[in-house]
Amino acid sequence: MRLLLIFTTIGGNVAQASVVPSLSIGGITPDLPLILTVFVALRRGPELGCIVGFFAGFLQDVAGGGLIGVQALTKALAGFAMGLLVGRFWVTSPLVQVPGLVLLTLAEGVGRFLLLQFFHYPVSLGSLLMHVVLPQALYNGFIGAACVAAAEAVEAARRRGWA
Amino acid sequence: MRSRRFGLLVSVLLVSLLLLTAQVRGGGAGRAGDLVAMVLTPVQSLLVKIHRGAIGLWSSYADWKGVRRDNAALRTEAEQLRVQALQHAETERENVRLRRLLELRQRLPLSTLAGEVVGRESGGWVRALTVNRGRGSGVAQQTPVIVPEGLVGRVVQVRPGASVVQLINDPASTVGAVVQRTRTPGLVEGDAGGVVRFKFMARDGAQVARGDYIVTSGLGSLFPKGLPVGRVVAIEDKGSALFHFAVVAPAVDFARVEEVLLLTGQTNQDMTALFGADG
Repeated sequence: MRLLLIFTTIGGNVAQASVVPSLSIGGITPDLPLILTVFVALRRGPELGCIVGFFAGFLQDVAGGGLIGVQALTKALAGFAMGLLVGRFWVTSPLVQVPGLVLLTLAEGVGRFLLLQFFHYPVSLGSLLMHVVLPQALYNGFIGAACVAAAEAVEAARRRGWA
Repeated sequence: MRSRRFGLLVSVLLVSLLLLTAQVRGGGAGRAGDLVAMVLTPVQSLLVKIHRGAIGLWSSYADWKGVRRDNAALRTEAEQLRVQALQHAETERENVRLRRLLELRQRLPLSTLAGEVVGRESGGWVRALTVNRGRGSGVAQQTPVIVPEGLVGRVVQVRPGASVVQLINDPASTVGAVVQRTRTPGLVEGDAGGVVRFKFMARDGAQVARGDYIVTSGLGSLFPKGLPVGRVVAIEDKGSALFHFAVVAPAVDFARVEEVLLLTGQTNQDMTALFGADG
C-alpha cells in the first residue's frame, strides 16, 4: 500500500509535468497532484491525505523552481481537511466529492495566496481568483468527475467479476 | 489518536514553514538557504530527468497519434479523390456518348427523340431495354431505336413514361436486311442463345462472305434503309436447305447502351452514309 502511495505521488507529479500540459485550455491546466491528494484523503483518511499532499506539493515546489514549501504546506492542509470531512459529512457520494474538490481547490488557492503574502507576492487576489484559481477549480472538478466515474466503473466491473 | 493526527499535521506544517523560512532568511545569511539548495538540487535534477523522459514519451505518443490521425485523414481524402476521379471519368464518357448521339441526331434526315436506358432484360427469354420515353413523349409501337453504332431494335410496348425496346438479338426479333456489298436480301433474326443470324436464300449463298456488313433493307417501311446491323463472322452452310445462315456480330454492344435515339419520323433516304462508309 505504501509503495502504491509513493507511486501515486511521484506518478502524479510526473504526469503533471508531462501529460497535463497537453490538456491545457486557455493556459489553465488541472492540478493532478491535488486531485490525487483529495482521492487519497477520501479513501485513506487525514493522515495519509496530509502526507501525500505534503510530498505531492513538495515535488511540485521542487520541480517548479519557486519557493519550496508553499504547495507542500497548502496541499498537506488540503489533504488533511478532506480526510477529516470523511467522518463528519457524507462525502462518499460523487455528488459531494466533485463539488468538494472544486471548493477545496479554491480554498487551496486562497491559502497559497495568503501564505505568499508573507513573501510579498505581487498579484491581487481578485485577479488570481478570476484568471487562475477559479478556472482551475472548475477544471479540477471536471477531471475529478471523470476520475470518480472511472473509479465507479472499475469498482462495478470488479464486483461483477467476483459475483 | 486525535492528538497523533494533529501532531502529524503540525509537524508537516512546521517542516514546510521551516523550509520556507530557510530559503528566505538564507538569502541574507546564506547558510540555511545554501543547505536547502544543496539538499534539494540533486532531487530537482532527478525530477527534471524524470520529467524530461516522461515528456519525451508523451510527445512520442502524441506524435504517433497525430501521424495516425493524419494517415486516416489522408486515406479519406484519397478515397474522396478516387471517387471524384471516377465521377469525372464517368461524366467524360457520358459526354462523349451524348456528343456522338447529338451529332448523329443532327445528321439524320428525320425527327428523333433521345432517350435514356432505365432498364435491361437479358435473361434469354426476352432481350429488351426500357427507355424513359413513352406515350407522353409521342412514342409509338414499332418505333426503330438506334445508337451511333447502328440498330438497337424496335419499340414493342409503350407505357405512359417508358417504352420497352426489343433488341435485334431477342429470339422473337426479325429485321429485313441486306448485305451492304452485294445487296443480297435476307432476314436478321435473334435466338435464345443471343446469337444474331442473317437468314438468306441458299441460291444467294455465294454472295455472302465473312466480313460483310449487314444493313437494314428498308423494305416494309418499318426500319429506314441503311441502318447498320452488324458484320458477318461465319457462314452456316446447311447443304441443300432452302435457306442458309450467316452469323452476325451486332454493330451495337447491347450491354453498354445507355442513351438511344428513337426514330419518330420517316424517311426513304438510304442512311448508310450517315453511319460511315462501311456501316
